[in-house]
Amino acid sequence: MTLSFDVSATFTAGGDAFDLAADLTVESGDTFVVLGPSGSGKTLLLESIAGFHDHEGSVRLDGRDLTDIAPEQRDFGFVFQDYALFPHMTARENVGFGARYHPEVRDPDELLERLGVDHLAERRPRTLSGGERQRVALARALAIRPDALLLDEPLSALDVPTRQALRDDLADAIDGVTAVYVTHNRTTARALADEIAVMRDGRVVQTGSPDEVFRNPASPFVARFVGANVLPTAALGTNGETPADATVAAVRPEHVELGGDDARARVERVVREDAAFRVTLEVEDASVDAFVHDPPTAGEEVGLTLPEEHVTYLAE
Amino acid sequence: MNTDTGFQGTFGWFGRASTVLAVIVVQAIAFWTAYTIGRPTWYVPFMLASAALLAYASGEGWFGMAAATFGAILLIAVGLPLALFVARQDPDVIAEMAGQQSVHRMLYLSVYGPLLAAFVSVIFGVPLAYLLARGFRGQALIETLVDLPLVVPHSVAGIIILFSFGQGGLFPWVGILGQMTGMVIAMTFVSAPFAVNTAREAFETIDPRLGYAARSQGATQFETFRRVTAPLATRGILTGGVLAWARSVSEFGAVAIVAYNVEFSYPVPLFGETTFSNHAPVFIFKTYNAGSIEQSGAVSIILLALSAAIFVLVRWLAYDNESTGGVL
Repeated sequence: MTLSFDVSATFTAGGDAFDLAADLTVESGDTFVVLGPSGSGKTLLLESIAGFHDHEGSVRLDGRDLTDIAPEQRDFGFVFQDYALFPHMTARENVGFGARYHPEVRDPDELLERLGVDHLAERRPRTLSGGERQRVALARALAIRPDALLLDEPLSALDVPTRQALRDDLADAIDGVTAVYVTHNRTTARALADEIAVMRDGRVVQTGSPDEVFRNPASPFVARFVGANVLPTAALGTNGETPADATVAAVRPEHVELGGDDARARVERVVREDAAFRVTLEVEDASVDAFVHDPPTAGEEVGLTLPEEHVTYLAE
Repeated sequence: MNTDTGFQGTFGWFGRASTVLAVIVVQAIAFWTAYTIGRPTWYVPFMLASAALLAYASGEGWFGMAAATFGAILLIAVGLPLALFVARQDPDVIAEMAGQQSVHRMLYLSVYGPLLAAFVSVIFGVPLAYLLARGFRGQALIETLVDLPLVVPHSVAGIIILFSFGQGGLFPWVGILGQMTGMVIAMTFVSAPFAVNTAREAFETIDPRLGYAARSQGATQFETFRRVTAPLATRGILTGGVLAWARSVSEFGAVAIVAYNVEFSYPVPLFGETTFSNHAPVFIFKTYNAGSIEQSGAVSIILLALSAAIFVLVRWLAYDNESTGGVL
């Protein structure tokens, strides 16, 4: 099912108006990640697609116009950040909730088993851990055989080990299902996405494959949000390749090499992370991170190499 | 390590319950002793001292002791008159009044009428409460109207109802003066805010995403209300109903004006027998005015006992319900 939407709306909360406008297409079976910081309108976009908010424009599924269709007839499975399980029902009753509104539903017990929580079928949500609740919630969304899944930060309320375990199961569960996945977490985005849209202040500022967005951010904002270093071109010294209108250069931490003479830097801090050391360097007034296996010591002066093929020049 | 255990950590639930029971027994003995020697005032310093002592024993510090002592003063202002009222009733007069048919009729009217009013308030108040909880344009105006009966003097409420019904008013063919209908309308007028506001608070505490989840699962708005919202708000709706009922039982002003003597159908010994009685507060006022403080006291205590029994029954039936999984 190909999902396309062109949604625009103005929301007012507490007297402030917030404009939302997004025009995107999710190819059938793809996981489309909407990536953006808090307050960028990701959740409102998702809720608008689901039909919970009035909006202008249209929502289409395989050409079928859903714009004026009530939320209960859109056949979207929705997964919420805070689970939104019905507290007065057991896990099984939660998963079976939609059975009476859909002719062909999946067996709740089979789904719970597939997500590894079949032993909790008789339990109520408040007795379950966050990860267990989200597995039940995911089972509930899948149970109605939805035409598309809408997932609103389903992993962000979970601790890191739980998140990683569930992310892998989630990836399996939504494989082949058309899905819109909203998150502020770039790692989750990169791991799950077939396609990414970056949102800021209610607008889509870049779309593309994960590689495109992470390697060639379209603006300094996107570059910073996907974890790249952004430093003024002035700090790069005499590099003949710098385009005339560029003011900043973006380069990912894993591509910054110590040694060389693209720029001079002072080592501010060295932190051991999982597989490597993250070295924070000061270049002119900018801060640059680099992942290295053989770290210098703090306070040292080092030269940097920024490989031309990994540098994106942008105008601030 | 948790050092802030209080009674719970020290004794567990059973220990806590028996501690509470011991405190109540000691207080009751102290009050009864002070009362029987003719010096009920002496109970006041005893109660204040024991409140401070209990706070001290719970490890609450000087601030806790001060709070407990000040709180105890208010408890005395409410509880001591009640205790004295109960202690000073003559059991013979209570028994005599409890045997009178006029009292039976009054009690029937004073439970049944408020029950009708509470039903009306809940049936029509819950949808309104649901809408108010969701919010809509012009909401402030509706809220003001809902709360209006809370600030209207009750005698004025009675006058308002007299003016709005009867000849030249609404439903001129329906008699309200001195009728059950009039009494229920007066009670609904003064008690509806309790039903609406309590149910509304219950709806407001429900995460709107639960509604979204139900809708995305295919439930219509009505199905979402029936299967998710209403079950989760049951306790609030019920509390609102009980409050509306209790408020109606205690209503004097509006009822005294609209239906001082009430004509109604009394089901004993046979259905359909039309009889007259008064709503309880009016009945007690009448008895008192007729010159008998003993008899009005006896009727008051019967009414109090009946109200308390119904209140406990409703709590027991509805609130300790395990089938809701502790949500209610």
